[in-house]
Amino acid sequence: MTELAPMLDLTAESATGSTTPFIEVRGLTKRFGEVLANDQVAFDVRAGEVHALLGENGAGKSTLMKLLYGVYHADEGDVLVEGEPVEITSPAVARALGIGMVFQDLRLVPAFTVAENISMALDGQGFVYRRGAVERHIRDSAEQMGFAVDPGALVRHLAIGERQRVEILKVLMAGARMVILDEPTSVLAPQEVDALFGAVDELRSQGLAIVIITHKLHEARAIADRVSVLRGGRIVARGIDPTTMDDRTLIGHMVGREVPALPAERPAPPEAPVPALAVRNITVSGDGGHVALRDVDLAIASGELVGIAGVSGNGQRELFEAVLGLRPLSSGSITIDDTPVRKADPRIALAVGGVGIPEDPLAHSVVPGLSVLEHMVLSDMGAVRKGLGIDWNRARSLLGDLDERTQLRIAAPHREVASLSGGNVQRVILTRTLGDDGSRLVVAAYPSRGLDIATTRRTQELLLARRAAGAGVLLISEDLDELLELSDRIAVLHAGELAGIVRPGEVDRYEIGRLMLGGAE
Amino acid sequence: MTVAPPAPPTDEGLAPAPVVAAPAGPSRGRNLLIGAGRWVVAYGAALVIFGALAWMKGADPIALYRDMWASTFSNSTSLGEVGLKATPFLLAALAVAVPARAGLVNIGGEGQLVIGTVAAAGAGLALDGQLQGWAVMLVMGVAAAIGGGLWAGIAGVLRLKTGINEAISTLLLNYVATDVLLYLIYDPWKDAAGFGQPASRPLLDSSRLPRIEGFGRLHLGFVVAIGLAVGVWAILRYTSWGFRLRVAGGNAEAARRAGLPVGWLVLSSILVGGALAGLGGMLHFAGVEGQLRSGITFTFGYVGFLASWLARHDPLKIIGASILLGAIAVAGDSLQIDAGLPAATVKILMALVLLAVLANSRRTKGAAS
Repeated sequence: MTELAPMLDLTAESATGSTTPFIEVRGLTKRFGEVLANDQVAFDVRAGEVHALLGENGAGKSTLMKLLYGVYHADEGDVLVEGEPVEITSPAVARALGIGMVFQDLRLVPAFTVAENISMALDGQGFVYRRGAVERHIRDSAEQMGFAVDPGALVRHLAIGERQRVEILKVLMAGARMVILDEPTSVLAPQEVDALFGAVDELRSQGLAIVIITHKLHEARAIADRVSVLRGGRIVARGIDPTTMDDRTLIGHMVGREVPALPAERPAPPEAPVPALAVRNITVSGDGGHVALRDVDLAIASGELVGIAGVSGNGQRELFEAVLGLRPLSSGSITIDDTPVRKADPRIALAVGGVGIPEDPLAHSVVPGLSVLEHMVLSDMGAVRKGLGIDWNRARSLLGDLDERTQLRIAAPHREVASLSGGNVQRVILTRTLGDDGSRLVVAAYPSRGLDIATTRRTQELLLARRAAGAGVLLISEDLDELLELSDRIAVLHAGELAGIVRPGEVDRYEIGRLMLGGAE
Repeated sequence: MTVAPPAPPTDEGLAPAPVVAAPAGPSRGRNLLIGAGRWVVAYGAALVIFGALAWMKGADPIALYRDMWASTFSNSTSLGEVGLKATPFLLAALAVAVPARAGLVNIGGEGQLVIGTVAAAGAGLALDGQLQGWAVMLVMGVAAAIGGGLWAGIAGVLRLKTGINEAISTLLLNYVATDVLLYLIYDPWKDAAGFGQPASRPLLDSSRLPRIEGFGRLHLGFVVAIGLAVGVWAILRYTSWGFRLRVAGGNAEAARRAGLPVGWLVLSSILVGGALAGLGGMLHFAGVEGQLRSGITFTFGYVGFLASWLARHDPLKIIGASILLGAIAVAGDSLQIDAGLPAATVKILMALVLLAVLANSRRTKGAAS
């Protein structure tokens, strides 16, 4: 049906009466304090379609979906389900209306089986848990929906893609007729994305309404019948057929202006005799005492950018921490610029110019109560010390220099960092770390997380600038596109081991995906 | 090492990007007014509840509060008594506030105060009559600071080396400190001329802190305590050490990753805190008691803990909080004498004040997030 009416707008549609959308919202507005997260949003999803909701971080996508799922309450506006006005006051009400949501951070209990997890979401279970009946029921439903799921498997033994399908199954078995998938592909390997889209396609053919929140255009193109774009809390394109619009136009809608391309010509990394980073056969334990990295061997030349690909949780965090002297090595050795990082002491790495952008800035870099200015001098007190005190004027001029150099539009110096939004916190960290032009090694974990497209691009430019200045750059990312675009080489981590090192241009994303999944097809 | 801060919001819904710049200006005055209103209501409620309790015990609340006022702020001698009580409270409170900057909970002000008193007494009794009075006092002060600091340092080292929570270890060390005091006054330091009482011999008058003219028993220690509070405030506010304490206390993991010597910062903060408590013991000993006896510290350490939390660990506000609690303590004596209520009644008032503070800080926190 979407082929017949790709560009229909709402008024035309209701005039002809051809289809009543499964859900429709009008004039939906949501404020958080002074921030207008959703501004007069009008949007609809039909049964039997996949509707992609595009937008940058902070555009209001998740807010809109949480309004539909009853997590938030709209300040203004109407919601209609199958033409009837409804008041979605809680997720329970949303579920009763047939609206289900799969959150980005999956909400399964790892120590429970698939069946136990799903049965928690189902009504009418009675007091006694009848395992056999529940598992049979799940197997039947899964088969009917074209999923392969073992109800008896423990969730913690499942790969992330499988867990996601369990979550979708859970939502469907609870009676959902519309499923909202919040950034479902962000943690998946390409093969898993294909499997997910296969499942979504099957659900579409069974007449379900599906919403996919994403910021990746090629995915929207691959699966969506219609696309809506949010920017700054407003719908700037509503229900358009993605085939009628090219990428540049779509990005233009998302960002509101053109985003410059990265420089295509880059100096080749020198065959440096002294690598910026040499990781020699390290084995590292994780927080739980298990082996998180096993026998990892990796060198980064000065002026080289090496990407780390992998499904998160495969040793990325431990690698980051080991390299910067934050986590002790069980065996092996690490040198930065030929200086051994002998023991787990971050001061050794800092002293030779090893800096990091942590994966969780709030936990690892942000001090509650301290301002942007104060965060700039956390590590490098030497530069601003004046007797026993601190030369805040000097600190202010240093911050000005950093801001000038990085151009990341950092928040005002007096603002408390902990009170900033995620993207603005990240800008503070990036400004401090990437503005340091004395760094010899930059280890960046998910640097563009939470950033808008323009700032992501600026961040990538800054990483390339460090590389061009002769520093080694280790870029840990979940975004294969980013890795392919920036890296000289890509090392793939799987289950704590280096599954392989490849060069972009010599392999395709599926080959990297194969390594990410441990060599399985 | 310390409790990890809450995980960041993972989706844009919880942390909306600045779609619209938030004007912060006009609502500020109103917020201040609301804040002040809350305090009035909270303290008013504490006073009303306490009045009601006193009334149930047969006392006239109006007369009660009048007597309490008269016994504390009505004349310079009463004011002197308030200052006298406030002095050890103030230093015990600073002993909580400095480690609190580094994220530590020091419940050991009491023990550090006791050990400071013991060290001061040991030095004073050994030297008085042999040196000039001011020199004896100086040595007593240094000894008390070292004693209190080392006593707190035990908890600091335990925390760094074995991870034992300092709130537990400092609390337990309080009992040990009291036992040390009791041992000394029952045996080696017992006054031979004291009719068998468990107490040391009195310190010579020449080695006691001079009184402040016109304020009854109030001694120079009060001025010293206020000076120390201002000094601590300035140090925490303006030095790089103070700044780094805040970093380590705010997020120890961030401090570690920034290359700060977190262990040293933690240890130094509790050493300084213990030294301040120890000084408090010396001031009380050389200013008021002059003789080591059991119960000499009267739980000053715990009242100081309360004072520090009342003031949210701000040294300047601690001055006010200590004087307030000093006044309540003095008023407690008048309760007993004038209204016939047990002296412990005053602890109820202190508890009500604390609850009022806690209720307020809870509200403010909720409003902020």
